[in-house]
Amino acid sequence: MRESIARVEATRPARLQAGPPPAMTPAEREKVLAEFHPDYKAEKKRALSIGVSAGNVVPSEVADMLEAHLLVDPAKIDLSSVDYDVDVLIIGGGGAGTVAAIFAHQEGIPAENILIVTKLRHGDCNSTMAQGGIQAADRPEDSPAIHYIDVMGGGHYANKPELVQAMVDDAPEIIRWHEELGVMYDKENGEYMEAHGGGTSRKRMHSCKDYTGKAIFNPIRDEARNLGIPTLEFSPVIELLLDGEGKAAGAITYNLETGEYRVIRAKATVLATGGFGRMHIQKFPTTNHYGATADGLVIAYRAGANLLDMDSVQYHPTGVAYPSAILGQLATEKLRSQGAMPINADGEVFVYPLEPRDVEAAAIIRECWSREKGVETVSGVRGVWLDTPMIDEIHGEGTLKDWLAAMWTMWHRHGIDITKDPALVYPTLHYQNGGVEIEADGETSVPGLFAGGEVEGGVHGKNRLMGNSLLGYNVFGRRAGIAAAKWAKSKKNKIKTLSLQHAVDFEQQLIDAGIETDIQSPMLLPDYRSKSVLERSLGRFL
Amino acid sequence: MNNAAYFPGCSLKAEAGDYERSAAAVMEVLGQPLEELERWTCCGTVYSLTDDDLMHQLASVRNLIRAQECGADEIVTLCSMCFNTLKRSKVFIEQDSARLETVNAFMDEEQDYEGGVEVFHLLEILRDQVGFESIEGKVTRPLSGLRVAPYYGCTLLRPREIGIDEPDTPTILQDFIRALWATPVEFAFQAECCGTYQIVDSPEMVLEKSHRILNSAMRAGADVLVTSCPLCMHNLRLCYEELRSSLPEKRELSIIYLTQLAAIAFEVETGELPTSMAKLVEGLPTSMELVP
Amino acid sequence: MNTSSENTIRIYVMGSAYEVPRGLTIMSAMEHAGWRFTRGAGCRSGFCGACSTVYRQEGDYRLRFVLACQTEAEDGMYLVQLPFTPAPRVSYTLAELNPDENVLLQHYPEIARCVSCNTCTKACPQDIEVMDYIQAALRGDIAQTASLSFDCIQCGLCSMRCPADIKHYHMAQMARRIYGRYMSPVTAHLEERIAEIEKGVYEEEVEALVKMTRSELEEIYAARVVE
Ligand SMILES: Cc1cc2nc3c(=O)[nH]c(=O)nc-3n(C[C@H](O)[C@H](O)[C@H](O)COP(=O)(O)OP(=O)(O)OC[C@H]3O[C@@H](n4cnc5c(N)ncnc54)[C@H](O)[C@@H]3O)c2cc1C
Ligand code: SF4
Ligand code: SF4
Ligand code: FES
Repeated sequence: MRESIARVEATRPARLQAGPPPAMTPAEREKVLAEFHPDYKAEKKRALSIGVSAGNVVPSEVADMLEAHLLVDPAKIDLSSVDYDVDVLIIGGGGAGTVAAIFAHQEGIPAENILIVTKLRHGDCNSTMAQGGIQAADRPEDSPAIHYIDVMGGGHYANKPELVQAMVDDAPEIIRWHEELGVMYDKENGEYMEAHGGGTSRKRMHSCKDYTGKAIFNPIRDEARNLGIPTLEFSPVIELLLDGEGKAAGAITYNLETGEYRVIRAKATVLATGGFGRMHIQKFPTTNHYGATADGLVIAYRAGANLLDMDSVQYHPTGVAYPSAILGQLATEKLRSQGAMPINADGEVFVYPLEPRDVEAAAIIRECWSREKGVETVSGVRGVWLDTPMIDEIHGEGTLKDWLAAMWTMWHRHGIDITKDPALVYPTLHYQNGGVEIEADGETSVPGLFAGGEVEGGVHGKNRLMGNSLLGYNVFGRRAGIAAAKWAKSKKNKIKTLSLQHAVDFEQQLIDAGIETDIQSPMLLPDYRSKSVLERSLGRFL
Repeated sequence: MNNAAYFPGCSLKAEAGDYERSAAAVMEVLGQPLEELERWTCCGTVYSLTDDDLMHQLASVRNLIRAQECGADEIVTLCSMCFNTLKRSKVFIEQDSARLETVNAFMDEEQDYEGGVEVFHLLEILRDQVGFESIEGKVTRPLSGLRVAPYYGCTLLRPREIGIDEPDTPTILQDFIRALWATPVEFAFQAECCGTYQIVDSPEMVLEKSHRILNSAMRAGADVLVTSCPLCMHNLRLCYEELRSSLPEKRELSIIYLTQLAAIAFEVETGELPTSMAKLVEGLPTSMELVP
Repeated sequence: MNTSSENTIRIYVMGSAYEVPRGLTIMSAMEHAGWRFTRGAGCRSGFCGACSTVYRQEGDYRLRFVLACQTEAEDGMYLVQLPFTPAPRVSYTLAELNPDENVLLQHYPEIARCVSCNTCTKACPQDIEVMDYIQAALRGDIAQTASLSFDCIQCGLCSMRCPADIKHYHMAQMARRIYGRYMSPVTAHLEERIAEIEKGVYEEEVEALVKMTRSELEEIYAARVVE
């Protein structure tokens, strides 16, 4: 490793002089994607055989999770006794969910008639983890139209146009709302410090150092607490409820500590359960939080919601490859937008640092496994260098430590100083591009069920750009919250009965289709216990 | 000149900003500008009276360490309360090497406090380092005829071993007033306690004490009362506002910080002054309508 | 006693010993040993503060405070997790607040109880100068409180240790919000852009893009000039 670092150091002055290499042509991009991107491996995917989106091709792991048995037998659940009776139920206490709660309240639903249920603590979610930034076209040299084109091109034109339109139009207003909440955006001389992100043609990435996710989400959560919006923690939803007529009617939660279930009746339901990184598609490590297990897709699919763009998965080009203790954790794109270049074992730059994510990731995989110019660690992981010392060389000493404190600390805790040495990186599973299809106000194909955030499909097409999912959870969390409040206030949307028949029917479809599986879903949490423990496990008696 | 670090204390950064601004301007004129201590912490506010409670010495000792770190051999305070707390801690901790050792061992993240950093109130610096004659030499607007009551309160003078002057017959403030060409007006309650932080729990008691002080100063014929303490200022002004409605129209008392008096005489930044001051000193810009 | 081999180390979880491979975080080491977390694990990347962990090393009198997801397990660690701190927060309406120098003290009067023992700073796994931000709050310096506490992940370890029962992280969150709303400069072009959008300045242009075919968009995309 040291020898290879010396080669990186040797070429650094020349690279600083020359600047980044040119970006790939569309044809070159297509080629590297087709040959090296994990999404392009047909054998790792299959078509769904049951449900409304039958025929859609999705990663095998997702298909396994969707076509799995129920976690509990509906017969065991007594729907006649309702534990919580609310106007708006919000599933998922992450970014989209909390934003939806605040706007449902603003739309006239009293705090006590809203309920957020979430799997872990309120705030254990992908939203707190974002580092790089959030996009909004607010500079004079930028415009919503330019933002629109970047999003569509980045998403390979699969995005639903009206959703992209909603997102780029709402973006500046979202930033203003954040300002009102007291989010501390990075500013210089009274102006936002805006940077490029992968695939942007204008600098529109707003940041809060490299704690952007936390710095945006925590004030939002604080505001929900000020408003007194009730939250039920450690209570993941295991099944949605419908009324007799196919409308969403609430959910069943499971208390992770006591094992009890609870019945929640709600006039409107917002699905905001986030992504699926912990499914470790194609065995990739992930940047995602512990509870990112695709539960929302599973329960919504059983209730009849259709899925969109689930064939594509986002691998972040730069996850940690060394040290292994933090394998797969994120090395933010901001490192590259501030000047750090990906460099191979011989000290050569091999890719434009800010290609769209899928292209950048594919190029790194090619460097490691085809051109054989990766660096191999003691644990057999391969990676390429991210030449982080370039950042201080370009912007002045102290820049990295001041503006990328989270990154500096993460490696520093393991004895690596990234202002002096480059960091070893490799793609990591990062984002669920597709999801439950929504309309511009967050409506899903199930009446009374709204969705926003990473669980949603359609906004980002086949590839999300950095900075558009923080934006997305705000835009569609807000829209879904408002639409859910309106729906709940409308007299015609009364809930007559509560039913789990759709789950019973789904189980039957599984049998009818001859699918044999011992998987039960939703997954709730991954299991990282070692094999040796599991082999001897007798289960729990107490 | 010694190497001194200025310790502001919390109230100087909040409601007593006028005290700090005027002091900074005055010290600038006197050629000993205030250099603020880096990373200071609250002095602890009230000196702990329980001898075995080393925990409550930590705040003070930490400030002494901060001074030591930046190579200062003395700390200068404006607030009498801070002065009292810091100085008493210093004496207490330096008296007994076992205490010093325990405190040093507890604060293992800091360098050891080696003792020897002196704690002074600004008045002592003016008297002993600058000298009242030099002050007199800088006066550009002599305050001749201005009748000024020197209010010491208790924390500058007691306990005796840390006091800046003789507790029963102090003269330092009178000398200071004289140096500015004003007339000191001694009064019976000039070294009486104002009630300090009791204002939070028993405001009546504090108001009663403050009444006595103000009445005594006014009966002695003072137009101005100077203080060295933000807390005294708070209590006295509060009390004065209550008193005012019962006073004859012309009878006023301007309560100001001692450095504001000097700033007036030097014609430098005074901070906000009560409007009543304008009637006493010609051409003085005043803005403060009601206090506090 | 030599407890480790070349590839394994011995850790103690709430007093019981387990052999685990070297090179794992405390979190992964506990999972390897058979724990399946419901509490004490959230982001697994050092951002959420769910995995507050206290440990002691054999032969060291000190308690250490770390994040289980960010710290490598070492031989001889005696570990316990503290994933929850009961610390009341004060509700407020940001828009109606008077952001003066007393506002923090008014909402969290117990910050005046700080004795400057610095225990909070020693407990902070984010290496924040916690005592300094409490001190800044005490003298009404909101900007300093906000900037010193910026990296706080609200793990609660400081509040768990403070002899004065201060709720550091709630108070600091409030300070950052006050700073963000009232003291951080407002950028003019944001307001201008919002006004333009409300007036429909971009409506036609975006509408046209929405209606375009894929190949038309591809052409525009390929012709983009990157700033
Ligand atoms: C490390 C990292 C860095 C990132 N950086 C950026 C960036 O710089 N810019 C950007 O735009 N985006 C970034 N992203 C992506 C972005 O943070 C997320 O996509 C976005 O925040 C998702 O918001 P969300 O509200 O949909 O989901 P989350 O914030 O993940 O919230 C989902 C919540 O639902 C809960 N939940 C899940 N299942 C259930 C259930 N069954 N019942 C109840 N609750 C449930 C979860 O526990 C969680 O609390 C990053 C993501 C990661 C992981
Ligand atoms: S632990 Fe509490 S008392 Fe000690 S320095 Fe920190 S805030 Fe002050
Ligand atoms: S300041 Fe307190 S709550 Fe915040 S990270 Fe440090 S110890 Fe945790
Ligand atoms: S699990 Fe979030 S900080 Fe460790």
